[in-house]
Amino acid sequence: MSLRMFICFISLLTAQAAWGEGALKDVEIDHSPAALRRGAATVTSVCLPCHSLKYLHYRDLLKLGFSPEEVTGLSMGNKPEAALLALMPPDIGEQTYGRVPPDLSLMAKAREGGPHYTYSLLTGFYQDKTGETNNHLYPSIRMPDILGWSSADAAQRAVLETQANEATAFLVWAADPRAAERKRLGYYTIAYLVLLTGLLYLIKRKVWARLG
Amino acid sequence: MAEDEGVDEKRRDFLLTVTGTVGVAGIAAACWPFISSMNPTLDVQTQSNTEVDLSGVAAGATRTVAWRGKPVFVVHRTPQQIAAMAQSAGGKDPAPDQARVQEPQWLVVVGICTHLGCVPNKTEEGWLCPCHGSVFDNSGRVLQGPAPRNLEVPPYHFAATDKIVIG
Amino acid sequence: MAQRLIAWIDQRFPLTSFIKRELTDYLTPRNLSYWWNFGFLAGFLLMLQIISGVFLAMHYKPDVNLAFDSVQHIMREVNYGWLIRYLHSTGASAFFVVVYIHMARTLYYGSYRAPRELMWWSGQVLLILLMASAFMGYLLPWGQMSYWGAQVITSLFGATPLIGDEIVLWLRGDFVVGDATLNRFFALHYLVPFFIVGMVIIHLVALHHVKSSNPSGINLADKDNIPFHPYFTAKDLFGLGVFLIIFCGFVFFAPEFFIEAANNIPANPLQTPPHIVPEWYFLPFYTILRAIPDTLGGVVAMGLSILIFAAMPFLDRSRIPGGARFRPFYRAMFYIFMVDVAVLAYVGSQPPGGLTFKIGVAATVIYFAAFLTLPFLSRWEERWLRARGLPPALQALLDSETEPKPRREAR
Repeated sequence: MSLRMFICFISLLTAQAAWGEGALKDVEIDHSPAALRRGAATVTSVCLPCHSLKYLHYRDLLKLGFSPEEVTGLSMGNKPEAALLALMPPDIGEQTYGRVPPDLSLMAKAREGGPHYTYSLLTGFYQDKTGETNNHLYPSIRMPDILGWSSADAAQRAVLETQANEATAFLVWAADPRAAERKRLGYYTIAYLVLLTGLLYLIKRKVWARLG
Repeated sequence: MAEDEGVDEKRRDFLLTVTGTVGVAGIAAACWPFISSMNPTLDVQTQSNTEVDLSGVAAGATRTVAWRGKPVFVVHRTPQQIAAMAQSAGGKDPAPDQARVQEPQWLVVVGICTHLGCVPNKTEEGWLCPCHGSVFDNSGRVLQGPAPRNLEVPPYHFAATDKIVIG
Repeated sequence: MAQRLIAWIDQRFPLTSFIKRELTDYLTPRNLSYWWNFGFLAGFLLMLQIISGVFLAMHYKPDVNLAFDSVQHIMREVNYGWLIRYLHSTGASAFFVVVYIHMARTLYYGSYRAPRELMWWSGQVLLILLMASAFMGYLLPWGQMSYWGAQVITSLFGATPLIGDEIVLWLRGDFVVGDATLNRFFALHYLVPFFIVGMVIIHLVALHHVKSSNPSGINLADKDNIPFHPYFTAKDLFGLGVFLIIFCGFVFFAPEFFIEAANNIPANPLQTPPHIVPEWYFLPFYTILRAIPDTLGGVVAMGLSILIFAAMPFLDRSRIPGGARFRPFYRAMFYIFMVDVAVLAYVGSQPPGGLTFKIGVAATVIYFAAFLTLPFLSRWEERWLRARGLPPALQALLDSETEPKPRREAR
């Protein structure tokens, strides 16, 4: 969360009217290991045809709890240390969509709203009056409605919501794969610092007590 | 210090020792991430194995491939070379030839001189290191010169009769 | 053994006498509050930034095609690279927090007044060097905000009369911010900290010559001065502990708090992000820049808004000792100024618009008015205070603390 996101958030709270169809959907993202693995499967099968996640390697998926065999299955013949590159060559992407589909490695951090942006985009497709597919969050987006959200009925949408949620959770992980390690180290560090600071406080009090 | 402060003084000394120990331990621990960051990175550590297609290497020829950045000599030895090597025990670091190969006609050694890390040049009899004149035979065993050990045999296996995987 | 070693060194280098003079015998006012901890914290952050920066430089690549990737390589592949980078990026923001508090303390307590003008001015130079280093360092991740921030700020030099375009071209070494710019910013980002260290030494030498100011604003008698060590080493280290707890909270649990989302997109010279903002520590000055419709005027105003602090020793004409503590008008003005800076920062974070623009202009006027009215306000305040009789607390302090020497001279 950036400082500006924080300010935007405060501004949004004070301006309720901003929550329209184009606004971000504020859903709870499921970060459980199982959801992350299902999200990884969704992203590698649904997103990877067009989008790369070039800062991620297939070996990194092992950290999500996949077995080496499962990673081999997901990697489609690539070596474990290969990057997750789009199946479609960049120039074909440029010809088809007018630009190379953006890399998704950092997508969950690269838009205001973070994961909520990704989720809202995936579930923001609709069919306009002319029957063209469009997106509430990103009008005249060139990306197709890959989950089939715009044509799904309510029951199907419940399934798609879970799928979008899990894919988002995976992208959050992909943007910051060291987050769990970081937080774990953070607890130890802060616990240590509280101890040390407590001791330093005692010393300070003791030393200053001599002044009377 | 005044005498009536003696007890306090002792307590402060104890407190100082404890805090000093905790503080020094913390500083030492804080150094570790910085030291560790200079070790090989994850992508270097997980560099994969190297596959070598043997079909194009004629008898008597050598193919040099890179494995984790190091040169590896893959030598297709002739029957005469195999016979000569089988009779010799090597030089200052004796080792039987059959312990250094999986298939007698294929010698696979890391092409880095065990002296100071130069890459030896191929000769008729084996290799000659250009830096300090170490001489290796066609089994990669050091015969003379300053090199202390034979050329290293990397881990490898035959994936097919004409394909090896190093690493 | 240790004693003999120290004796050996002392014969050749004034180690013991240095420690004695600068630490164990160095007298410090005993009434310093925790607001006086921030100079030490700034010194700590300087060391942290240098150390983490050196280790980042071992992995960073200053090349337009590699820079963004190399930062991600640091974040994902280098052992503890994420920690070192987050220490450095959070450290930059923390540096400004600490330095701004340090400056606010100086303003509130009047620590810039004689005989500490050189301390204040060397601090000014440090602030400008810090800003330059932060600005150049911010380009290095080569994200969209990095790129467009550098593009906009280097364009400001185009406002220079006659040779503006040439200067911009020279600064960038390219027609836009490009490979040459990135490379030189990296070189200079590595260089400037050495100047900062040199300036800090000057700052500290001056400090140990004039000694610390203190909340009362007058020099205390000897009985109220205590050795720096162990009293203030203990206090500074305790303060450092508290600071580190907060700092590590950000590093480990909210490291992206100070990083703009758009900086996670690689720099694209063909597309400006919809809303570009500078880093938070430049926001007030950015608002002042935008408040003036003319480019040259805006640049001059922004430069003045930083440099005008140097004039404080001249602007403050009051002879009442101390800072805001005994001076109600100055105190009120200090708080108005703080609020005004906060308003400027908020306006700077918002997209340019009708109402925010007007607020920004008003806040800019107040910003400069605070400085320019100070000579008159401080004189008037002094007359007013003397007419009412000095507050008893101040009078008592003056009576108990003033050394007898000036009184004799007065006679």
